[in-house]
Amino acid sequence: MTMRIFLLLGTLIVIVLLPQFLAPFHIRVVQLFFFTAALALAWNVMGGLAGYWSFGHTVFIGMGAFAAAHFVAKLGLPAGPLQMIAGIVFGALFCGIVAAIIAYPILRLRGIYFAIAMLGIGQVAAELANNVGWFQGDVGLFLETALPDGVEPERFFYYVFAGLFLFTWMVSLVVMRSRFGYGLLAIREDEDTAKMLGVPTEQIKAFGFTISAVLVGMLGATYAYSLGYFTASSVFRIDFSLNMIIYCLIGGIGTLAGPVVGAALMLLLTQIILGQLLELHLLATGLVVILIVLTLPNGVMGLVGGEAFRRRFSMRAGGKAR
Amino acid sequence: MRDPHFPDRQAMLIIQTALNGLVLGGVYSLAAVGFSLIFGALGIVNLTHGIFVICGAYAAMVLFHVFGIDPFLATVPVAIAFFFIGYAYQRGLIQVAISRASLVASLLVTFGVALIMRNLLQLVFSPDVRTITPSYSFSSLTFGSLRIDIVRLIAVLVSIVFLLLMALVLSKTAFGRRIRATAQQPLAANLSGVNVPHVLGQTFGLGAAFAAASGAVLGIVQPFSPSSEDFWTLNAFIVVVLGGVGSPSGALLGGILLGLISSFTAQFIGPSYTNAVMFLVLVIMLLIRPQGLLGSAFGESR
Amino acid sequence: MDRRSFLKATGSSVVLAPAVFSSQANAQDATIQFAGSVPMTGAASETGLNVKFGYDCAVKFINEKMGGVDIGGKKHRVTLNLFDDASDPARATSLIQKQVDEGVNFFLGSFGSNIVLPTCAITEAAGRIMVQAGGGSDLIFTQGRRRVFGLFPRASRQFASTAAMFKTLNPQPQTVMFIYTNDAFSKVSAEGASKELEAAGYKVLNSIALPAQVSDVTDALGTVRAANPDILVCSTHDATSILIARQMVATNTNVKMLYQTLGPQTAAYVEALGKYANGVVGASYWDENAKYKGSIFGSAKDFAEYYRANFNRPLTYHMASGAGCIVAYVEAMKKVGNVTDRNAIRDALAGLDLETFYGRIKFTSQGDGDPVLLGPMVVQRQKGDLAVVYPTEAATAPTLYPALPWQDRT
Repeated sequence: MTMRIFLLLGTLIVIVLLPQFLAPFHIRVVQLFFFTAALALAWNVMGGLAGYWSFGHTVFIGMGAFAAAHFVAKLGLPAGPLQMIAGIVFGALFCGIVAAIIAYPILRLRGIYFAIAMLGIGQVAAELANNVGWFQGDVGLFLETALPDGVEPERFFYYVFAGLFLFTWMVSLVVMRSRFGYGLLAIREDEDTAKMLGVPTEQIKAFGFTISAVLVGMLGATYAYSLGYFTASSVFRIDFSLNMIIYCLIGGIGTLAGPVVGAALMLLLTQIILGQLLELHLLATGLVVILIVLTLPNGVMGLVGGEAFRRRFSMRAGGKAR
Repeated sequence: MRDPHFPDRQAMLIIQTALNGLVLGGVYSLAAVGFSLIFGALGIVNLTHGIFVICGAYAAMVLFHVFGIDPFLATVPVAIAFFFIGYAYQRGLIQVAISRASLVASLLVTFGVALIMRNLLQLVFSPDVRTITPSYSFSSLTFGSLRIDIVRLIAVLVSIVFLLLMALVLSKTAFGRRIRATAQQPLAANLSGVNVPHVLGQTFGLGAAFAAASGAVLGIVQPFSPSSEDFWTLNAFIVVVLGGVGSPSGALLGGILLGLISSFTAQFIGPSYTNAVMFLVLVIMLLIRPQGLLGSAFGESR
Repeated sequence: MDRRSFLKATGSSVVLAPAVFSSQANAQDATIQFAGSVPMTGAASETGLNVKFGYDCAVKFINEKMGGVDIGGKKHRVTLNLFDDASDPARATSLIQKQVDEGVNFFLGSFGSNIVLPTCAITEAAGRIMVQAGGGSDLIFTQGRRRVFGLFPRASRQFASTAAMFKTLNPQPQTVMFIYTNDAFSKVSAEGASKELEAAGYKVLNSIALPAQVSDVTDALGTVRAANPDILVCSTHDATSILIARQMVATNTNVKMLYQTLGPQTAAYVEALGKYANGVVGASYWDENAKYKGSIFGSAKDFAEYYRANFNRPLTYHMASGAGCIVAYVEAMKKVGNVTDRNAIRDALAGLDLETFYGRIKFTSQGDGDPVLLGPMVVQRQKGDLAVVYPTEAATAPTLYPALPWQDRT
């Protein structure tokens, strides 16, 4: 236990001190890492634990962003830290409410049909945001950042995203350790049996979906703040949805560390190592994805931790349900 | 103020819109049927589908410019070539990934290949917009006040011929029976002497062939570029969900529905809302009848 | 350990970083380093590549043909460090930040306002300069940035010269209809144009918004036929423009003038439409027959010849605009007499008023191109060539109006 506390403290200290040693570009990359890793973790709550793969989670990035921007604009809140917090909280809550409403009908679908339905919902929301004049998704929206004096934007958002990442991590950890988390795993292993055995699958799924949406909405609203100006096409992006899945798969789906490792690996590759390859970076990224699938079928965590690791993180509850 | 021809004109507008929708839908059907077959029989969400379509268009373009082969005729060699490409792709890469990891690994692999191919297409053909323009591409047929351009009309006819062909292959031939058997019960098919891996590869090849052939047809109907590939993958998704997985008739129905939806939306709500309405119908359809209008065959949805 | 030496230490783990440092060391002695991103892949890559070829052409010309440029009594060579932003704003911002870190002072722009806007916010905040020919959105210029310059006038002002051209037509057109792609740039320019035309007394019948990816415009054309406007203005991307024109021909939808902002200038357009491209009107920010000339490249014609002799990609005005960005920089640096004083160079750019091969380069006080001097010329496809029809003093041919019905075009 003490070991873990030291580990946690050490991580915190590294996160806090890291920007002192990094150039702004690398701060931005680490910031992007916190953002995408948190997204992957949030997706993992439904996709990894419950086995409900959403192909359209970007809908919550977009909704969070739009909800935040319209909320602070309608209320006419003056730019500042409070306005930013209000926007992000509202964005997250809004996504949570929408998710709770659509949870029941949409979660009746399973497997690929759920995935496609989410894809569809993502597209509908994106198209409406882009075409209904009121949303202003076509001409774009502004969010003024509340930068404290003398702090560079990349540092500020580094710490903001670091905080959100840790928050998402903690939520994931709590979910995984909780009875509710075991419920999600039971649904993944065999939903019908779980239901028969008295697991309230409907409520658990809806709750998991809502948590996932709240986290993604919160991240989406913050992302919009970090962009400053966004259009529908910069927040409703199919590649966001796909990346969440791919990071989880590459790192190790259903584990706590997997999505984080997957995001780190892919960002390192696409932003730093392959960023220099002018016209070839897509090709190189594609090759890397394929190579990872062929050589590390259980994701990176499957390689690092071996059987023991997987049992500890993902199979513990799974074994029980079987 | 009142237009004396008002009711007439409104009726004609509706007929014209329906006609446009049917024509568009026919083409959509052909573009989606390959995806439907692969998804239905192999359970693979083939994210390379749009690449096959666009590759077909480029192949037809090359054949047209270099050898002067009419793009509609080019569908045949293009389809044959892509049958083998698809077969090799499935046996050489996708099947390996599936056996090493799991079925979902195919999602990643096809995604990776799509990235690579898109990049290669950009390198070879540049990212510029291309078109194929045979001499007849600017003509149209007129019936009273109704107009259809000939290219689209031929495209629909070709699409229907191809769909019929696939339906016949699937229902009447031994090869088709093997495909259906493998899709329904791979184990039982294996026990009955079907070489399952071989048939899976052939099925994938067939899907790829139809996708590429549809690309050759689409290349005449509209401009294309490497980055339009994801549009065709998404379209195929919708068609398949609307019509039902795995059958040519399902793809035809889904495609025509999609065509009608987009043309009526474009005419009466506004062209920029077509995608929103298309996907809305998709979601509603999933909620009330997830197996699609004609689907029932493969897989569990709930 | 200061930031730079730390970077150097980590450089070995971060592949390729050392190469950048060596080029930066040279930046002190007699080189001018330009950097930035362009979309070489993704949705905006077609035009993005055009702009990139323009940058490349200017660099090649200055280094090889001129043997460097004389600034403050010393020959300077030009280096160019571009990367592919894949039409993705997130990728562009993090990589632009990287170049800011590496000490790049002079940025060239990407293509598309959705990328230019977030990237220029970064360069502005870091006190660096950006001269770009790819972002026309009003917001780039109206938020108080001092170090961002655009060769194009802002979107809402880009239609002024076209509206003036309509006034010269005989018989006077009465009605105009718009088709536009529903994105920030096309929408703002269509709305600006619509206001401009209504103020000029034309009747704007209808505006049809199209999604970014279109596979069929038959229905929109049905509406056009029913409304029968004199002029149809398409503020669309080139693929959509081709589709609209093709289907207009195929469905025999005739208007007296088809005006497409992007499309008629490109080679792909002519390839797709053949003889039917004749008569279509478009906007061009530069033409090789224009009578401008300057100290770099010489005349517009000279630029075109040099470009064609060295590059294969068909020439469009975007190449000239890209090269124009570098020319503007270099001219400003010549005035200042050094390549290090960012503030002086910024002021020199802001005060620039100089004839170049691209035209008379002059920025408004907010940094976008002067709407009269750098606004678009109106061009028309005539007998397979692109003729300038407006402004009258630059015109190479009179406007053909009304255009022939499609089936009579040759």
